[in-house]
Order: sequence, then structure tokens, then C-alpha cells
Amino acid sequence: MSGRLRSLVALLVFAFACGGPSATPSMSGTVDDFGDTLGLVAPATRVVSLNPVTTELLFALGVGERLVGRTSWDLFPDAARAVPDVGNGMQPNVEAVLGQRPDLVLLYASASNRLAARQLRAAGVMTLALRTDQVADLARVTPIIAAALGAAERGRRVVDSVRASLAAVGAMPRPAAPVTAFWHIWDAPLMTIGGGSYLSELLEIAGATNVFADAAAPSPQVTLEEVAARDPRWVLAGPLSAVRIRAHPGWQAVRAVREGRVITIDTTVVGRPGVRMGEAARYLRRVLIDAPPR
Amino acid sequence: MRVHVWILLVAAVVAAALVGIGGGPVALSLGEVWGALLGEGDPTHVAIVHGLRLPRVVLGLVVGAGLAASGTALQATLRNPLAEPYLLGVSGGAAAGAVLALTLGLVGPALVPLAAFAGATAAVVVVLLVARAVSGHADPRVLLMAGVVVGAFCTAAIMVALATASENQVRTALWWMMGSLGDAQWASLRWIALYVSAGLILLATWARDVDVLALGEEAAASLGLEVERVTRRVYLAASLLAAATVAGAGLIGFVGLIVPAIARALGASNTRQTLIAAALAGGALVVVADLAARTVMRPAELPLGAVTALIGVPFFLWRLRSLR
Amino acid sequence: MIRFEDVVVRYRGAAEPAVQGVSLAALAGRVTAVVGPNGSGKSTLVRALLGRLPLASGRLLLEGVPIGGLDRRAIARRVAVVTQREEPVFPLAVREYIGLGRHPHGGPFAVRDDADRAAIARAVALADVGAFLDRTTDALSGGEWQRVRIGRALAQGGAALVLDEPTTFLDIAHEMALFELLDALAREGQAVLLVSHQLNLVARFADHIVLLHRGRVAAAGSPAEVMRGDVLERVYEWPLVVSRDPAVGAPVLVPLRGRGTR
Repeated sequence: MSGRLRSLVALLVFAFACGGPSATPSMSGTVDDFGDTLGLVAPATRVVSLNPVTTELLFALGVGERLVGRTSWDLFPDAARAVPDVGNGMQPNVEAVLGQRPDLVLLYASASNRLAARQLRAAGVMTLALRTDQVADLARVTPIIAAALGAAERGRRVVDSVRASLAAVGAMPRPAAPVTAFWHIWDAPLMTIGGGSYLSELLEIAGATNVFADAAAPSPQVTLEEVAARDPRWVLAGPLSAVRIRAHPGWQAVRAVREGRVITIDTTVVGRPGVRMGEAARYLRRVLIDAPPR
Repeated sequence: MRVHVWILLVAAVVAAALVGIGGGPVALSLGEVWGALLGEGDPTHVAIVHGLRLPRVVLGLVVGAGLAASGTALQATLRNPLAEPYLLGVSGGAAAGAVLALTLGLVGPALVPLAAFAGATAAVVVVLLVARAVSGHADPRVLLMAGVVVGAFCTAAIMVALATASENQVRTALWWMMGSLGDAQWASLRWIALYVSAGLILLATWARDVDVLALGEEAAASLGLEVERVTRRVYLAASLLAAATVAGAGLIGFVGLIVPAIARALGASNTRQTLIAAALAGGALVVVADLAARTVMRPAELPLGAVTALIGVPFFLWRLRSLR
Repeated sequence: MIRFEDVVVRYRGAAEPAVQGVSLAALAGRVTAVVGPNGSGKSTLVRALLGRLPLASGRLLLEGVPIGGLDRRAIARRVAVVTQREEPVFPLAVREYIGLGRHPHGGPFAVRDDADRAAIARAVALADVGAFLDRTTDALSGGEWQRVRIGRALAQGGAALVLDEPTTFLDIAHEMALFELLDALAREGQAVLLVSHQLNLVARFADHIVLLHRGRVAAAGSPAEVMRGDVLERVYEWPLVVSRDPAVGAPVLVPLRGRGTR
């Protein structure tokens, strides 16, 4: 079991090291996840970031002052709060974005954002639509964004630092017996994290196992009875959900709930595959393995 | 109706309940199920049987009975074999109530069902008032049209609410509207069972009046029935019965439509017999449909409304053919 | 028996009353027929009896009691009405259907007692539907269904029986059978009130005919008195002659070709 985990961590680190296009990204010629080509003549100076991951990344790259727009959800780091709020990151308000006169817009590459990308490009604004779903994505997108901002060296340092902190957690001794966890995402319908999702990867790095790692979808819907059947050692949930789970009679069917092993997860720490991934992994490691609450 | 058919129906209910308690994603042997029912054995198994499966089965029996009885009464009152419990504003009102509660962020465990019930009740009353304003007496055609109008309004309200809701709220609203027994808990179950029983008893009491009503307005009048009064009270009882089932399990279609037909096909000859037979058959059907919903696509749970529709549509087509 | 005294009935929103001051009596032991052209107010009278229309003025008495003083069940126990059409959406056993005739007598959970059983048996015998008791209502011919409906009406046990156009969908044999049945019922003591278009059959079987014209009584009396060419032609606004048929010994109405046609 620990051998399997070790090789999994190694695979992740490897993916981290080689993710992304083989050529060093430049300001023009890079193709983003929508298939659009980036064509900047000079590093971008006015950037709107419609993705919390990229907003944080820009500050980490030291170019936070060039940010002229963020989504309502981008609250990290604190300095981000000073940046103007242009609304949603999904199906964004294109008018509000254009109002900030950006020369580069960073989008999350989901189907619902294709229209916005087209509209922005038609208005003459350069866009970069990138997927930020998994651990490996950060190593892939950071060089692209860093190049577009003329901060390639800084970008490499950010990637190295995150990789190192993740590797540090991954290298910690694996527990003798597998530590299984069920991560509660949503009620009605009951949803959890699937095998390919970022949080599932994070759990594996931290040394635990997602009981629904066999589910292919990123956010599969499951029944309570199934959770009880898989008998996770820990149940992880956000603050409101944790309270509900402890109070709900149906959840008593899950042994972990019966025996008081419901952990309230600090969702501000463990959110997205961004620059604080290492911190998130360390947090999970501490909470699940090193010093679990009792 | 012949005695052996009654016995068959009761046996079907018992069998469905047993299968519903014994079946599920966790494979339990008969011995383990029996032990769990008695409170012995692996505490997880006991919790699954007592806390998850048993309440679901009971809720399924109650909801199935309520919907089938409601459908029986409405089909007779509206003199239309295609009538079903949600027809006169119930589904639209319940969904509007629930969606509004969800998008306003009222997510207490009992609040959504209560809001659904309140919405359904409001819609039912509005339909009655509209029908009364349009034509003095409770003409079934006017009731139907009023139901369509109120339903359309509720749909519009739901669309507005969903357009401004977050992704998660939309997901929850849709999940609720597709029907599920997943919310079954002993605490709320008590109330729903009480309510449905009251509705069933009322309808069974008025069953003879409904028989007469089903003959036609003039025939009913000539037999001494206060057509208006009886139509109104049966319609109210049947609709509120349906509203109670919606509060407990969301929208579950086709049960109220096809089970009365099954009861009649089995030989139920008057409204009282049809009510009781339909209640039994409806309960068994919903329990079996729920079992399918939670085991067919493990680990996911199919919406109950989808399963009943999949059962209902072929049955319906078969009925249409035999009508020719 | 049924007595209309100067009854005026108006439909909601209508300029003219549909029935203006009609007085007629349907007495026990005889067949009383109400005839007249379309729109003369015949069906309106039936609806007033059913309580579907209120009386603007006048009195409607059942066995001497004004209808306003009786609740619907009490009315149903005194008079049974067989309307023009009836099509049950859900088929019933004939036995069950006739049993519904006892509805005005019992409560929701009332059990059939001897009086009920006797009334049902009598109704079945009079209407001669004993052969179809176990068939369902959707498996009867037009004539059989009409007899079954009369059986249900008789089971109500009232002294009066009212029928609105009972022969509309029946062929000659069934028409005759129905009129003979009504005649027999009257002989048994029933008060039979019949609304019909079938002037010739009415002339043969009715004891008393009331001819309505635009909501008023144009003529009332025995068939010989009412069935007169001048009266009928004026009321029906169509050329006709009344002759006497030697084969049946009753007045026979023969409509002629309309003016302006050849």
C-alpha cells in the first residue's frame, strides 16, 4: 500500500516537472486551452483575472499591481481585495471586464466561458483560457502566464517552490494502516470528490485515501448508504455541512459519524490548485495523520 | 373485487417492503437484515437498516399510497382518466415554493418541505378561487384551465428564481424537483404519515359521493348530491394529499396517473375499493422504484421521478393502445 | 307528484326569461308530457327541478312541499330525473350502478338494509334489467343502457320520475319499448313527467300534454285537445296536418313540405 502511494507521489512530481508545452512559452505563439493563440507584442500591463487561482498567482509573480480586475470570489491574498471586482468568473460580464481596459484577460477554460473569450477577442483584447483543475495544472499554466507578463524567472521560482513544498509532504512517512476519508461537497444531491479531482490528489499527497477514488467524475453523486458501506475513517466537510452531518439521524449509519470522527475543513486553506497547494497538503497531513482532532 | 386479489395486493406491499429493507448498495444477508431489524449485529448494519432503509420504505409506502389515492379521487371528480394529482396547481406551487426557499437561502432541514407545502396549498386555493370567479360552479373544465394558468405562472416564477440563483442552488432545486426518498427521517415521517392517513380517511369517507360525482354533474344532481360542494371538498382533499407527498419526497410523476388504472384493471368496481387498492399498489410501486433508483447506478442515486416515468411511459402507451 | 305554479326561470345574463309563468302538474298514475319547439323552455324546467337553476319567481312543489324547503337529498328521494345523456367515464357493474340510486337514502358508510334491497329489486323488476346485472355499463346497447338508467332512477324510490328526451338515441323498437315501460310505470302509480320531441308517440302514450311556446304554456290537456293542427302549426311555425291513425286510434302529426320548396 505504501509502495503504491510512493509511486503515485512520484508520478505527480514527475507530472509537475514536465507539464505543459515542450517549448518555453513566449508572449506570442502559445496556444491556450480553447485553442486560441496568444499574440502579445509586449508584456501585459493591465490584466483582468477571472479565476481565483490566477489572481493569486499574479501576486505570487510579483505583478499584482498590474491587476485591474478580479472576480467576486478572489479574496487571496489580502491585497486582492483592493482590486476592482468585475463580477463572475463563469459567464462573466464582458462589458464590466472591458470597462477596465485590460490588455490581457485570464479566463477559466470551461465551456460556459467560450462566448466571453470570443467577445473579448472580437473587442481586440487578448485572452488566455486555461484549465486549473488538477495539481499538475499549476506547473503547466504558470510558465505561460509568467511569459505573458515578462516574469518568466519569477514564474520558475514559484513553480519550484510549490513543487518542493508538495514533495516535502509527499515524502513524509506513510501511515502503516491506510487512512481513508470521505470528503463531503454537497447535500441534495449528496456529492463527493472523484478520483481525478484536485482534492482527491491532495488527499493522496497528504497520505490519505479518498474512499471514492474509483469514481471517474470529478464530483460524483453518491448515496448515504454507499458512504456507510465504504466505511471511511474520517468524514471531511465544510463548517455548515459538518454541523448538519453531526445532527442528521441518517448520517449515523456512517461509523465515522457515530464515533465522532467528523472534521471541519477550513475551506479558505483547501480550495483550489493554486500557489498555496503545499500549505493545503500540509494542513491535510496534519489534520488527518499527524494530529487528528479527538 | 375478488378476495384473492386483495390478498395479492397486501402480499405485494409486504414483499416490496421486505425487498426495500433487504436491498441496497450494501449487500446484507437475510439473517443480517433480520438481526439489524431487531437491533443486533454490526452497528453499521443496524444504522443502515433502521436509519436509512426503513424510513425510506415507510416514506415510500406513504407517498405511494397518497399519490395513488389522490389520483383516484381526482380522476373521478374531473371525470377524466388522464387526471393526476399534480394537475391543479400542486406541482407548480410546490416547486415554486421550494425553489424560492432555496434561492432565498432558507436551507434549514424542514424549511424546503414546508415551503413546498405552503406553495402547493396557495396554488390550490388560487385555482379554486379563479374557477369560482369565472363560472359560479365547480366545472371541471374551468378547474383544469385555472390549473394550467396557475401552473404557467408558477413556472415563470421558478425560471426567474433559477436565473438569479447560484450553480449550487440550481443543482439542489433540480434535484428536489426530480423526486427522492433520500430525505426520509423518522421525525418528519411521522407528520407526513399522519397527514396522508387523514387524507386517505377523508377520501374513503367521501367515496360514495365521488362514485355519484363520476356519473356526471346532472346525474349527480339528480341523485341528490351537492355537486359544487362535493367537487370542491374532494378536490381540496386530493390536492392537499398530493401536496403532503411532495413535501416529503419532491415531485414523483406517473404514480397518481397509472396506479388507479391498475387498481381498476384488477377489478376494483367502486371508488372506495379503487382508493384502497390503489393505495396498496401505489405504495408497493414507489418502494420498488426507489430500490431501483438507489441500486441500478451505484454509487449514484437516480431521481425517483425518472424511474417512475420510465415505468409509467410504456404502461401509458399500452393503455392508449387498449383504448382503441 | 310535481307541480309548477307560475314558474319564471331566467338564465344568467339573458334578456328574456326562458320560462315565463308556466304552471303544470305531473300527477301520480299518469304520463304527463311536456312538448314544444327547441328553446321553448322544456329542458329549463328539468334543470330547475335538478336545482341547477334558481326560480326567479313562482313555486315548484314536490308532493306539496316547496322545493326551496328541501335539501337536495330530500328532493332526490321524492323525484328521480333521467337526463338526456349520461356516459360514465369509468365502467361500473350494472348492479353497482343501480345501487347508486339508493345514495340519497344512506350516509357515507350506510350499509344496505332491507328497504334498500327491496327498492333495488323492485326497480330491477320494473325496468326489466335483471338479465344484465353483472354486465358493466360500457357493455350495454343504447336501449339497454336507457333501461338501466331508468332502473337507477326507480331505485331512488321517489313517487315521481322525470325523463328529458329519453328516446333520442333509440331505434323504433327501443323507443316503443321505452314508452310502453313508462306507460306501465304510470299504471303502477308512478307520476311520470316526460319531455319529448316525439309528438306521435307522446300522443299515443301520454295522459296529459303540455305544449310550451317561448317559455309559456300554449296549450294543455288530453292528446285530443292539444294535438290540433292550428295550434301546433302556430307553435312549431311549420305547415302540418293532424289526422287520426285508424291502426292505433291516436292523433298523428304529419309535417308538410315547407313553403318555397318544390
